[in-house]
Amino acid sequence: MNFKEFQNRSRLYVIGALEAEELEEFEEARKKFGKKAEDYIGECYGLHEAFALSLQPAKSSAAIKNRLMAMVRTRKET
Amino acid sequence: MTAIQGEDADALSQLYDRYNGILKALILRVIHNEAEADDLLQEIFMEIWNQAKNFSSQKGKPLGWMVTLARRRAIDGLRKKQAYARAEERLQNETEQQPDAWVHNATEEEIVLSDTRHLIQKVIAGLPPAQQQAIDLAFFRGMSQREIAAKTNTPLGTVKTRLELGLKKIYDGLKELRGEL
Repeated sequence: MNFKEFQNRSRLYVIGALEAEELEEFEEARKKFGKKAEDYIGECYGLHEAFALSLQPAKSSAAIKNRLMAMVRTRKET
Repeated sequence: MTAIQGEDADALSQLYDRYNGILKALILRVIHNEAEADDLLQEIFMEIWNQAKNFSSQKGKPLGWMVTLARRRAIDGLRKKQAYARAEERLQNETEQQPDAWVHNATEEEIVLSDTRHLIQKVIAGLPPAQQQAIDLAFFRGMSQREIAAKTNTPLGTVKTRLELGLKKIYDGLKELRGEL
């Protein structure tokens, strides 16, 4: 696998769309390309952020936050 | 995130205020159930609190990390509850409308986020519908290429090509947008 192909696969990898047989080959290439590969995969995770930011934010009730903060503060105390 | 790593509860409160809308929208897009989305949102922020020490700014931005975590949890939740059938039904009954926007006056930060959203939506909308659909099923439904092929009655190779081309266009589009964002 050359690096261009690895880049194509990386974008599929970060969204979990590589099939099992492709994943094995991808992991081998990932080792082969080392830091360059890791840096590129890191950049591809920006796609996650972009897909989330493409959505209209949704409302959630204040009760959710209150419950969350109560749980966090309780844990801190224990 | 540094403050949260130091177990500062007020920092988590601020993080929640800033990003709960985005993460809830993402969860809703996956599971299509308001009550389950609220429960999951709470669990995800609890996980953010518990896992904050694993976040490294060298590996990316906090939002990216949180979105990755939220998406994984939402897709896991969908699978565990075997809610595919119910979600499918709801999805078909729903219009393409996104959840309601916040109703309060927009802050400067929200306006920036809104601009960002429009720019990203423009990039995604520029893709052919078949590529958009393949990416939507893979990202928001957690489907494999084979599952997408079966669902859309499309050859596996075509699905792969659609995903590769679509993701490349979005990736390249985002790189161009970086100057504007």
